[in-house]
Order: sequence, then C-alpha cells, then structure tokens
Amino acid sequence: MPLQSALDDVRILDLAGEIGIYATKLLADLGADVIRIEPPGGDPLREVGPFWHDETRIDRSLSYFNHTTNRRSITLDLAKREGRAIFERLVATADVVVETFEPGYLDGLSLGYENLTRIKPDIILTSITGFGQTGPHAHYQWSDIVGVAMGGVMTLAGEKDDPPNRPYGNQGYICAGIDGAAGTMMALVHRDNTGEGQHVDVSMQEALSINQETAMQTWDMTQQIRTRTGVRGMIPIDIPGIGVYQCSDGEVFAYLGTPGGAPWTVMLEWMTREGKAEDLNDEPYGSLIAGLNLGFLTALTREPEKLGERIQMLNHIYQVFARFCATMSKWTLYEEGQKQRLMFGIVSTPEDLVKNPQLAARDWYRSMHHDHLGADVGYAGPPYRLSATPWALRRRPPLPGEHNHEVYVEELGLPAADVEALAADGVV
Amino acid sequence: MKQPLEGIKVADFSWFGAGPICAENLASFGATVVRVESEAHVDGLRAVMPFAKDKTGYNVSGYFNAYNAGKLGLTINLNTAHGIAIAHKLIAWCDIFITNQTPRILERWKLTYEDVAQINPRVIAAFQPMQGFDGPHKYFMGFGAVLGPITGYSYLSGFPHRKPMGLGTNYPDYVINPGHTLIAILAALRHRNKTGEGQYIELAQIESSVAPLAPALMDYMANGRVQMRDGNRLPHASPHGAFRCRDNTFNNAPEDRWVAFGVFNDEQWRGLLDAMGNPAWAGDAKFASIAARKQHEDELDAHITQWTRERTAEDAMALLQSKGVPAGVVQNARDMLDSDDHLKARGYYVYLDHPEAGRTAYDGPPFVLSKTPGTLRTPAPLLGQHNDYVCREILGMTEDEVTEAVIEQALY
Repeated sequence: MPLQSALDDVRILDLAGEIGIYATKLLADLGADVIRIEPPGGDPLREVGPFWHDETRIDRSLSYFNHTTNRRSITLDLAKREGRAIFERLVATADVVVETFEPGYLDGLSLGYENLTRIKPDIILTSITGFGQTGPHAHYQWSDIVGVAMGGVMTLAGEKDDPPNRPYGNQGYICAGIDGAAGTMMALVHRDNTGEGQHVDVSMQEALSINQETAMQTWDMTQQIRTRTGVRGMIPIDIPGIGVYQCSDGEVFAYLGTPGGAPWTVMLEWMTREGKAEDLNDEPYGSLIAGLNLGFLTALTREPEKLGERIQMLNHIYQVFARFCATMSKWTLYEEGQKQRLMFGIVSTPEDLVKNPQLAARDWYRSMHHDHLGADVGYAGPPYRLSATPWALRRRPPLPGEHNHEVYVEELGLPAADVEALAADGVV
Repeated sequence: MKQPLEGIKVADFSWFGAGPICAENLASFGATVVRVESEAHVDGLRAVMPFAKDKTGYNVSGYFNAYNAGKLGLTINLNTAHGIAIAHKLIAWCDIFITNQTPRILERWKLTYEDVAQINPRVIAAFQPMQGFDGPHKYFMGFGAVLGPITGYSYLSGFPHRKPMGLGTNYPDYVINPGHTLIAILAALRHRNKTGEGQYIELAQIESSVAPLAPALMDYMANGRVQMRDGNRLPHASPHGAFRCRDNTFNNAPEDRWVAFGVFNDEQWRGLLDAMGNPAWAGDAKFASIAARKQHEDELDAHITQWTRERTAEDAMALLQSKGVPAGVVQNARDMLDSDDHLKARGYYVYLDHPEAGRTAYDGPPFVLSKTPGTLRTPAPLLGQHNDYVCREILGMTEDEVTEAVIEQALY
C-alpha cells in the first residue's frame, strides 16, 4: 500500500528563503506537493555549506539537500512579466504560497495576497519574515542573529564576562519555520472547514519570544531582569553532581539529586565500587552527601550565606566527583548512570549523535540515493512519527529546474517550444 | 468569525513545557482544552519562580500560567479507581489526547496509546516521551536542562574556550518540541477530517530536538567532520557577532548593552563602513573581503567595538538598519515588554486578569492568521478551578456523582 499522507491533496509554491525553508521542508516531508521556485541562475541557498565531500558546487550543498527533500524544482524569474504570468497560472493550481520577501515586495509585483485571491479565491499565503508584515520594524532587515538578539534569546546565553551567545544552527530561522508550518496547517484546517483562505503572518522575533523561558514573566511580575548566568546557571556556587564535567573523552552534564531520580548516595556507591570515592565515605562528607537533594539546592539558591563552613566540604566533594568523572567515558557515565536513575546527560557532539544507540535502535537516520552523485547520502530522521500519515523521504532533493518540463509542459500544458523560448529569454 | 478549531476537544494530560504550550496553541485557535492535573502530582512549574508580587501558592507562578491560558483546569487523582474512571470519560470525550508524561508513568496510569485507543478508537493521541517508547534508552530520565546537552545544542553553541554550558534555558521545551507536536496534530486532524481515522503520534523529544541540527549531522556522515562551537561567528559572514555598546544604568548599577549584526556581502560591508564614518583602518587589504576578514576577525571585532561603545545599542541598530545592515539590539525582557514599540504595535504580548496572580503578560499566539487571529481567551486555570464545570457540563456527571467523586478524593 502506498504511504498515506495528510497533505497529498495540497500543492505548495515554495518561494521561501533561508528564514522559511524549514517550514516548507516540514510540509513537504508530510507529503505535500511542494514546488520550489528557483531564480534562473539557481537558488542562492544552494551556496550554503556544508558540502558533499567539501566540493563547493551548487549540486552538492548538504544544507540544501536537507532543506529540499521531497521537492520538485522549477526555475522562474518573477522579476520578468512573462515569469509572473506563468506564476499566476501556477497559483491557480495551488493551495498555498510560502514566501519570505520584504513585506510589500510581492504587492509591488502585483502578486500580493489580494492579487492572489483574484486568481485563486481560497489561496493561503504564508509570509515568514524577521518582524512580520505590520508595525514600525516591518521593513527592518534581518538575519538569524538579529532575530535571536531582538527575540530575547541571546541575552540569556553565555558567561557574564562574554558577549551574549548566539544559539547554533539558525535557531531564529528554525523557530520561524516551525511556526510558519504550523500556521499554514492551521489555515488549511480552516479552509477545509469553510472554503476560505487567508494570509498567515509569521514574525521571527515573535516566534522566538517564548524561548525566553521565564524572563518575560520575571520582568512583568517582579521587575527583575534575567540575564546570562553562564555554566553555573542559577546556582551561585559549584555543587557536586550538578553542571558540566570533563570526562576522559568529552563532557557530561549532570543533575543529580532531582526528584524521581536516585539519591546522591547511589552515586557515592558507584564511585566506591570503582575505587574512586577517596574519603567521601568518611565524616563529615557522608552525612552531607545524604542530604544533597533538590530541597538543599532550593534553600541554597534562596539563602547562600547559610551554607557557612559547609562550602569547603561541598567543594571537596565537588573536586572528588570531578576527578571521578575525568577518569570515565562520557558514554559510561550517561548510560550506566541513567540505568541507576542518576541524571546524567551526555554532551553530544555531532559524531555522538550519529552514533547514538537509541537513535540507531529506532532506525532514526535515513539514507537516500542521489543518482547525480552515484552515492547514498545520509539524512537526519523525522521530528515526529505519525502512524497513519507518516513523515517520509519520498523524493531526493531536486537539481535546479529539474521539473521544468514536467510542471510547465505536462501539467500546465504550455507548448514545449514556448518553454524553450522562455528559457532562451532567461524567464525559466 | 468561527475559529479553525472550534468544536475540537482536547484532553491535555501533559505538564511542564512541551505539552502544555502545544495545547495552549490549540486553545488559542478555538479548541476546548481540559488541562488535567492532580494535587497528588502537581505540575512542577506551579512551584517555580517567578511568582506574582507578594503572592504564594500553586496559582501564581508566571512560569506555569504562561503556558496554560485558555484552558479549563481539572484535577483527577489517578491513584484512585474512581479517578481513572473519570479520566476514561474525558478520553472518550476528546478528539485530541496529549501527554509528555514518562513511559513509566503512562504504564502505571494505563495511559499508553493502546489504553487510550481502546477507550476512543478515533482519537488523535500525541505522546512526547524523552527518548521514545522503544530502544535501549526508553526509560532514561530527562527534562529540558538535560535535553540541551544530549541533543547537541550545548556542544555546538557558545564560545570554544568555554565549557558547553548551553543556552541558559531549557531551549527545546518552548518552540522546537511543542511546535513540532502542533504540526503533527494538525496533520492528523486533517487526515481524520478526510477519513474519520485517528492516529498515534510519537514525538520523541530527542528526535524532534536533533532534527533541526541536520546539516551538522550530514557534515559528519558525508565528510567525517565534527563541527565545534565557534562563538557568534559564521564561516560565510564577517563581522558576525554581538558588539558591546554604551552601558545603561539600571537599578543604580551599570548594565551592559549589545548590538548584534552580521555582514554577509560587500553591500552590507559598505553599509557598515558608511555607518562608522568610513574609518581609516578599514582601508587595509586585510579587511577587504569576507575571506580576508575571517583571517583577522579578533582585530576587526576590536575596531568595531571601539565604534559601538560610543553609542547606545538602540542608536547603533537604527543607524545600521538605515545603511542596509541587518542589525538588532540584544534585547532583554524589559526591552521586549516595555520598550519595543514594534511588538506593542503588533499587540504581541497579551495582558490577562488572573483571579490570584492579577493582571499579567502572556506570549500571544505564535502566528497571525488574517481572518482567524488566535486569542488567549482566559488566563491559566487555578488548580482544579473547573472541576465542577468539566464533570457536569462536559462529562455529563450528575451532581450526586460529582459529590461522590469529591468525597472519594478522585477529584484531587
């Protein structure tokens, strides 16, 4: 039986730049027919690395592969009148258009939301931009770092003495893309119910805001500013079993003594079995370790001065624990620790993620053959698993204009000779 | 205007961030959401700061309230047979079931997919386990603070000479995991509207969180390269980072202020130089191209900082924007809530009157739909606030049945 899809009746015209391409990927991977519209010289996103075997060519971008799974590609120049005429014919066959131009750009080409509704009354136009379609900053320029700065995310990340940290991996674009896909889905549900399309407006700044965690409410309720607190987080001193620890082959993050987990004494037993507990079974350390739990931490965060002389003892336990970790593999601490209900998390490198036994056991990573490379390319797997209408890799990423003939001639019914003439004029 | 999800019924058995935020979004677009809690198993966020000024108790946490607007609050004690019976009624009633409880808890409470689908065969049931429901790490413990390290965000973010400290928050909890879940649920809803068939959604938080980092994984799989964090820099832009501006004074203490921007092409570089008044140092060949600047980036950043230190972050942003350089203030929550005229003009933050916490701010819906804009209709529920309403009006229990449930501590 062919795979079912929740979106196999949905055609999407994909004009998205980097800020919106995760949205169209999410929709394509759920089965929508997504036609990527590239400018005739090729999509600038094809120039974004990393590249297959580090070969800097427009048909080798791994980033582009990832973002354009399950797409068809046509080339079309919207700046040319003939190009716009063809786009309008495509719109008549489409359910959704996703775009990321500066607000007003498509209106200037007579391809704005109102124009599109005259071609296709129930069209959904999803616009994903740095600051949204309205407001005094609507025309501000954006890049990912501008989003995570203005969206309140950077101010919370990093050491006090460093500049605020930008999260890795274009998280502004990712969050805007997720909300763009979700907003499009919501508009599709409404269209299914009522036959009515609409304009979906996603602002990267707004998409990021909720990532501030409690910072917004903290200011609103208590007029306190949450700022970056570095590796120690909210806890003012080094606490044994909490934070990042060096291992023999990398790092782990530990959060021992949390509710639902094993008490610190289980950790001490493990260290003892390994012969690395040093003097921690002796007093006064034994008693102190027995009381290292969340209640202790909460009290400490509120009134650190009450620690008094115990600071020295805690520091000693911390040092012994750190020495123990330094002799152990990060995988051993993570997997053997978790089996004992000790809250360890491996600080995964990309290599660790690819080799993660859990992801492997669940067949998370996928592979697709690229005929033009004569090789299989490894892909990341699904963000979610749906039993009836699954995420799936159905089609490898397209080469530029690979589906011009299929779309223009076979589906739109343009004469092949006309398409060739348009190609000669640089329209397609 | 009828909302997209009007008439859709949601049983929200989740807690903390990833589940409740997703269910809140469903409520904002019209769904009826019953948030299930228990005094025997209180959502941890109800006990976490910040709290409304001079208030205490389970109903005044800004952390909890922010993710639960528009919901009805029901407390059920699932450690009692009577409580389980009420939970089953709610599951039979709903179109969408959502939970991020651990596999252990779900097995104990008989809320696995098999259990839920047996009660309601057409249900859309969304589960958000940390690691997934099979595999060697199925029972591993975790929450947001551990998820960041496990999923690679910590290793890849921040300055290379620092420990992998992460992003200062439980980052995947707030958009990555709830947002992915929302997309999956809406896809399942479309499918059900077309075919009548419900389905099982399993969003393993580790998988959902790792998926957006795909390019780094593909770089390893294809090229054997293990990418490493590189502060605020990018391989294909220079300068790129946060630059210190003139300090503010806040609460009688200096407050550091920063402007963030990146230069991705020659046009933006000329714009930056224009904004800085075309300084002499910039004429040196070592700053002539992105490739050249990448070789001298510390020196470049120092030059730029001399300029940014002389002005406020807001002035630097406005000037750079006027010259075509994408730039933004590294805003804190005070900036966003009180000073950002753009967010105000768009009405992003919403103020709701809560019976105990008073008038407080909430994040608005994550996207604006022109004809059916979402709304946060009510503030977060008090613990058990709607027990009577839900039991009688939604579950059709009689007054006597409700009284009996209260006496047996099933509604607790």
